[in-house]
Amino acid sequence: MTILGEIALWIALPISVWGMALGYAGGRTQRGDLVLSAERSIYAVFFLLVLASLGVVSAFLGDKFEYWYVASYSNREMEVFYKITGLWAGQRGSLLFWALLLGFFATLCVFLNRKKNREFMPYVAGVLQTIITFFLIVLLFADVNPFEQLAFTPANGQGLNPQLQNYWMTIHPPTLYLGFTAFTIPFAFAVAALLNGRLDARWIQLTRRWILLSWLFLAVGIIFGMRWAYEELGWGGYWFWDPVENASLLPWLTATAFLHSIQIQENRGMLKVWNMSLVMLTFLLTIFATFLTRSGLIDSVHSFAQELKIAYIFLGFMGGVLLACILLIVYRLPKLQSENSIQSFLSRESAFLFNNLMLLGFAFAVFWGTIFPLVAEGVTGEKVSVGPPFFERVNFPIGLVLLALAGIGPIIAWRRATKRNLQKNFSIPIGVMLLVAASLWMAGARHGLALVTWSVCAFVLTIIATEFWKGTQARARIEGEGYAVALFHLVTRNRRRWGGYIVHVGIVMIYFAFAGAAYNVDQRQHMLPGDQMEITSPFGHTYTLTYEGLSVSLGKGQRNLLWQAIATVSVEQDGVAKGILTTEKRQYVTSDQLMTEVGIRQTVREDLYLILSAMDDVDGVLSANSAAQGIDLQVLVKPFVAWIWYGGLILALGTVIALWPSVDRRRNRNRPELEAVTTPATAMAGAAR
Amino acid sequence: MTTVFLGGALVAAAVTLFILQPILSGLHASLDRVEDELTDTEARKRIALLALRDVEYDFLTGKLDEPDYLSLKADLTAEALAALEADETASDTHFLDDDVEAEITKIRAALRLGLMCGSCGFGNDDGSHFCSACGQELKIGVVG
Repeated sequence: MTILGEIALWIALPISVWGMALGYAGGRTQRGDLVLSAERSIYAVFFLLVLASLGVVSAFLGDKFEYWYVASYSNREMEVFYKITGLWAGQRGSLLFWALLLGFFATLCVFLNRKKNREFMPYVAGVLQTIITFFLIVLLFADVNPFEQLAFTPANGQGLNPQLQNYWMTIHPPTLYLGFTAFTIPFAFAVAALLNGRLDARWIQLTRRWILLSWLFLAVGIIFGMRWAYEELGWGGYWFWDPVENASLLPWLTATAFLHSIQIQENRGMLKVWNMSLVMLTFLLTIFATFLTRSGLIDSVHSFAQELKIAYIFLGFMGGVLLACILLIVYRLPKLQSENSIQSFLSRESAFLFNNLMLLGFAFAVFWGTIFPLVAEGVTGEKVSVGPPFFERVNFPIGLVLLALAGIGPIIAWRRATKRNLQKNFSIPIGVMLLVAASLWMAGARHGLALVTWSVCAFVLTIIATEFWKGTQARARIEGEGYAVALFHLVTRNRRRWGGYIVHVGIVMIYFAFAGAAYNVDQRQHMLPGDQMEITSPFGHTYTLTYEGLSVSLGKGQRNLLWQAIATVSVEQDGVAKGILTTEKRQYVTSDQLMTEVGIRQTVREDLYLILSAMDDVDGVLSANSAAQGIDLQVLVKPFVAWIWYGGLILALGTVIALWPSVDRRRNRNRPELEAVTTPATAMAGAAR
Repeated sequence: MTTVFLGGALVAAAVTLFILQPILSGLHASLDRVEDELTDTEARKRIALLALRDVEYDFLTGKLDEPDYLSLKADLTAEALAALEADETASDTHFLDDDVEAEITKIRAALRLGLMCGSCGFGNDDGSHFCSACGQELKIGVVG
């Protein structure tokens, strides 16, 4: 099976090159047979990539350590589950996995469009096969072939890094990859539109759903990654502005900008070049993310020379795509003229534009902070690191402006907002914001940034709630529906608008949680069994933690675990027992380092986060010496962390609502506009649609 | 081992046949627009009318007051009307259901004659002088 997989990978390359050539040729000559052949080549390549991936998985399951990739990321003792996910545990497998997911989305795209959007499809097939060809070339020729064999067969493999043996880590990369690869479809449609000159609003309508899907996967993938970092890395944080994290954030930021700016193009026929550029940029950033994380440029500074080949191939490809995109846009400039101009600074267009500039500014700061160390090291030969302070100083203000715009955008009028409009819509939200700020101040909140963030959160929530309330009320009145039914219809009839508002609620919740970090409490103490530690929450209550002692369990090599030392701590909150938390040190066969497992008690209000920082006498503990139980315990109280995960759920819910296809979309496509202008009753129904 | 390579050869042959078949036996994929899809002008019309709908919505929920609403609406209506006419010119071969066609005619008339009530949005019958929904006087020709 494994050899068949390798053969399949080799067959896939000429097939995808064929499909690429025929896609472009078919589009140019308008020959249906060439186009059909190109489309079939996508199905064929996907089939071959499935075979290749099955080949890798079967090598993992069969413990075939003659393969370098299997020997490096697995061993006999590893659980079957982690052997299967070995496909994306390391660089080589994950490049194949990338190609597989891209093949899947390409197949889905060709299949869904087999009877529609035909004038785009030849070039779409050509572009998709171009990207797939690129990944196949990387896999086969850049020294990263997952099927590469060693000169000998080791008795056992090296096993997987224990930090990666975590539930979140198995679903986080595939989710992100789904987001990265799904974005190739809108990119393909954009290039197809440039090539065939159909640059009206249609390509945007065709790709909006794909972009939302990709955006959703990226957002959820990023949040899964935060969750993993929070539970597994053992330092109490969820984001560290690490290059790998930043790389996944970049395309998400530009895709967010695009989702907002297409509304200006749709409503006002403006920003066509800008939107086109954003799609291209986002696609390039998905490739950049893969380049940064999987070319070995960052995580293997020592083997830099060996990895240079793949870096050059990636850089060359990105440069080529960038150049082609610029040329295409310049070539089509006459067809990308704006139909309108911004009439007033105080308008929804202007708010959207400002939102775009902020998102791009944010993205640029992240981009620069991420690549600066590489550039600096390349130029001066000295290592420079750009830490969280840089990112925080630049991005906190931008983030706050973005948050405020999430409130301003929905209620400021299109074209030009008059003074009356502003007064009418903004006085209540601003009032609520000031009220919240004053109440927080009186309650003792003195941290400026947190205070401002929470107040702006209140401003945005007031606006969104008012929108829901007014919409529901108007619909209930005009249609004679009960409030619950009216609300349901309101949301289902214009999923995009209301789904978007729900996403904003999720984002507000996440901001709310981020600001909570200003009130983190951090305490570290040396403890012997029976010792107590008191830690006061920012909410005023006090936790009393009693260290009960260490228990050791020696593994017999199963799951690669050598031993684990578990510290048991009982928790009291203001004298009331709240149960027991444990935190561990673990030694795996596969790593020299000790791993820490944290203990977390999560409530809506705050997390109590326990870290077993150090043990006085590891050998003593292992030889069951009862006198060797001293530990260093680090305790964090982290307000509102749970709201990040809740916010993520709401964000996903809102996106799914916006994505959900209307069953009768096509049949009734003329209805909303008819209703909007016929009767007041139906105007409302139309407005809510 | 031979079996594996035989399997590989078989896969290669099958895949090659699959992608070459359209060219060898003259199978064609359609490259034309399917009738049920939005045309360029239809897409424009849709966008113009959706913008109008948004203004209606903003007005009905009290986000826009009357003078702003009326001036915005006049602009948007002119755009919608232009889009509707462009669509009609472009879509000679593209037919819609009769009742939809009738409704479009009615809207067009309402837009042109200003029979759609500027206050409540009700589409009045030809020749009306006052809105039959809210009683507001209809300003004929406000749309231009």
